[in-house]
Amino acid sequence: MNILNKVKEKIKKLVPAGFTLKRKKKPFAAKTPVVGIEKEMPSFQETVVADAKFSHPEPSRPARFMQEELPYQYDQDRIVLQVRDPRWVHTYWELRNQTIDRLKSRLGDDFKRARKVLRVYDVTNIIFNGSNANSFFDIQINDFASSWYIDTGHPGCSFCVDLGLMLADGRFITIVRSNVVQTPLEGPSWITDEEWMIPEDMFARLYGMGFGLGRSSPVGGAWQERIKQGIFSSGLSSSPVRKELKERGFWMKVDCELIVYGATEPTAKVAVQGKPVNLRPDGTFTLRFWLPDGKQHIPVKATSGDKLEERTITPIINRETK
Amino acid sequence: MFKGYLCLVLHGHLPFVRHPEFEDFLEEDWLYEAITETYVPLISVFEGLVNDGIDFRLTMTLSPTLISMLGDPLLQERYLKHINKSIELAAKEMERTSWQAAFRDLARMYFNRFSHARDTFLQYNRNLTLAFKKFQDLGKLEIITCGATHGFFPLMDTCRASVRAQVKVAVNHYESVFGRKPNGIWLPECGYHPGHDEMLKEAGIRFFFTDSHGVLHGSPRPKYGIFAPVYCKGTGVACFGRDLESSKQVWSSIEGYPGDFNYREFYRDIGFDLEYDYIKPYIHPDGVRINTGIKYYRITGQGNNKEPYVEQWARDKAASHAGNFMFNRQKQASYLNGLMGKPPIIVSPYDAELFGHWWYEGPMWLDFLFRKIACDQDEIRLITPSEYLQENPRNQVITPSLSSWGYKGYSEMWLQGSNDWIYRHLHMASQRMSELVKIFPAVEGLRKRGLNQALRELLLAQSSDWGFILGTGTHTSYAVKRTKEHLLRFTRLYEELRSNSIDEGWLADIEYKDNIFSQIDYRVHQ
Repeated sequence: MNILNKVKEKIKKLVPAGFTLKRKKKPFAAKTPVVGIEKEMPSFQETVVADAKFSHPEPSRPARFMQEELPYQYDQDRIVLQVRDPRWVHTYWELRNQTIDRLKSRLGDDFKRARKVLRVYDVTNIIFNGSNANSFFDIQINDFASSWYIDTGHPGCSFCVDLGLMLADGRFITIVRSNVVQTPLEGPSWITDEEWMIPEDMFARLYGMGFGLGRSSPVGGAWQERIKQGIFSSGLSSSPVRKELKERGFWMKVDCELIVYGATEPTAKVAVQGKPVNLRPDGTFTLRFWLPDGKQHIPVKATSGDKLEERTITPIINRETK
Repeated sequence: MFKGYLCLVLHGHLPFVRHPEFEDFLEEDWLYEAITETYVPLISVFEGLVNDGIDFRLTMTLSPTLISMLGDPLLQERYLKHINKSIELAAKEMERTSWQAAFRDLARMYFNRFSHARDTFLQYNRNLTLAFKKFQDLGKLEIITCGATHGFFPLMDTCRASVRAQVKVAVNHYESVFGRKPNGIWLPECGYHPGHDEMLKEAGIRFFFTDSHGVLHGSPRPKYGIFAPVYCKGTGVACFGRDLESSKQVWSSIEGYPGDFNYREFYRDIGFDLEYDYIKPYIHPDGVRINTGIKYYRITGQGNNKEPYVEQWARDKAASHAGNFMFNRQKQASYLNGLMGKPPIIVSPYDAELFGHWWYEGPMWLDFLFRKIACDQDEIRLITPSEYLQENPRNQVITPSLSSWGYKGYSEMWLQGSNDWIYRHLHMASQRMSELVKIFPAVEGLRKRGLNQALRELLLAQSSDWGFILGTGTHTSYAVKRTKEHLLRFTRLYEELRSNSIDEGWLADIEYKDNIFSQIDYRVHQ
């Protein structure tokens, strides 16, 4: 087991604590528009890159959509639990007014003194009947909350949550009970299959390679910047600690373009710097050039439709940038 | 000497964006950009390989929403208009840059690319799915399916009827397009929740993929790590784990290829760089500057100074990066072979739209890689999952772990402060859909139409793309609009069905707007 732990430790060290996911798009940003440790983590990088699939207009764009709102409630008593990661679960709930009223009339003054509580049961490996949980803990919530992120601290365990009231005398009354969820493991399973045994050190090597900590890469150190942050560290996902350094991003650019335009008889042929130009039906033409520094001679030659006459006019333009 | 297999997977997906009610709709550009920059270049790579007699294998998802858009006459017509405008702009650019040789050559490069995109598009009768199908029929490509609208399955676990509907609608749609059932599926966002393999099995699917920890943290412990597939306990559906080393070589900001200074800079587009009046006809009619696809600069370096792109330098780099990738896979396979005592399979999945779009040289890199693998070595062999399973039918049985390939590896990308509000509505809609199926087990006519449309609206609301965009926290208004719009349409249908008062005119209108999956059968949601 020591070798496997070493691999895990190694991975843990490469995982800094606390992240924010923020993507800045600046007109002149390089391909990696993030700074610091974050950008060294491929899963973060992939998120930034994946967002490039969806080109967006600039935020200044006026809202195009006027829309009805979704219902605030669905007139049900319900609490739903879902897994966010090996340690955290998320729950949301709603209660009908009549359910609250019924509790009020049943409990009288006790109701006023009661606190709303989420009771989180560890129901790993049992069929939960309401009183046989392995353990539980309570989270006091306020009246306005309708969802909560819960740090269970226990990967690979099953949980169930009651939304209920904690009375002043310590009694707990369940209002609604959630579904049961199971958090995933955050490391390899201890369970092995006899038919598919592998020595510990070999598994540790395969395990590390699976996470990109292998030996075949020629760049050694660089690819040990490790990824799946959060997998081997506890509960760091909730509170972003890093502060972003403010970059001074003032900039300016200036460029010049030249518009050459004119008119002749619609049947004439026109060439600018020797290259033929398409005339509009009324005999006018417009050309637009990016203008480099230095002197440009721009001979514009028109030949009449019967090829008997020619005119050449040559603007000379000098651009100098200081 | 043969050491191991390499399974390259490109996941092609875009959410269903189609707005016949607007003349010009910005988000439809996602599709048009992907056609020009990703799908056509990939098809050209495949064509070149086949013409040159180079054998290759690639696994590719074409999500049902993507296939639907590629086959939609309105979007096809609009793409043609879009690409014609791009060609017109490139032609103007060739003139404007006459006194600037480096840029003029690039303008010509884009002119040729855009013209080629239009030709390819027309050559395949405006439906690029037919091109991909051709390479599948030739045995080079294995096309797999995806969730019908790319719903994120782990956060649908409390309403498995919706997971089932996502899978069944996708499989039926695949069959109607390709004439056979898909062997495999790309779980949207690589999101696996234990037990969902049951729905895959019901639909006849034989394999799927997870991120590396999906297999590595499965139970019992997988003997070969991610370098051999496992069968899911109870269903026997095969699960292939993603190899992170090869992923990182492509996407890491340190050693990842796309950041090479000779490659094209994604963020410098003439849609933003050029003078407003000149570029105005080619950006959004609202006057908002957007990408035109014409980008003249190479990454150049860390700072803001950018130098013109040089095609040949980028090409040389793509070739050397392909060589580097292959060399690393050879070393990896040979090391693993020694460790495992059998040939490993290295599974390298990538988001398809980033090849060519984000990483301009990506398709070219792939082309070099396929050619080098075919001609320069005999240690690694390209393979599809179906072929692998045929050759290696005996694999360990485990239960893979909950996982995704999103930020932090689980559900947080789609379940955080900015997007968690959607689930109480999505779950309620799922529950109501199941209720409707129970109330109306077999109806015809208007009610059937209403029920089918209700399922379409539910599926469209479930796209993980909306949650993803909300999660990135920028430019979220469209994602909010889509989530609400489909949920509101669903809710109204639910109420009208319950009270037997379907407004046929309105129903016809949303059938016309959200016209995906014409063959849908609402009864799959149970």
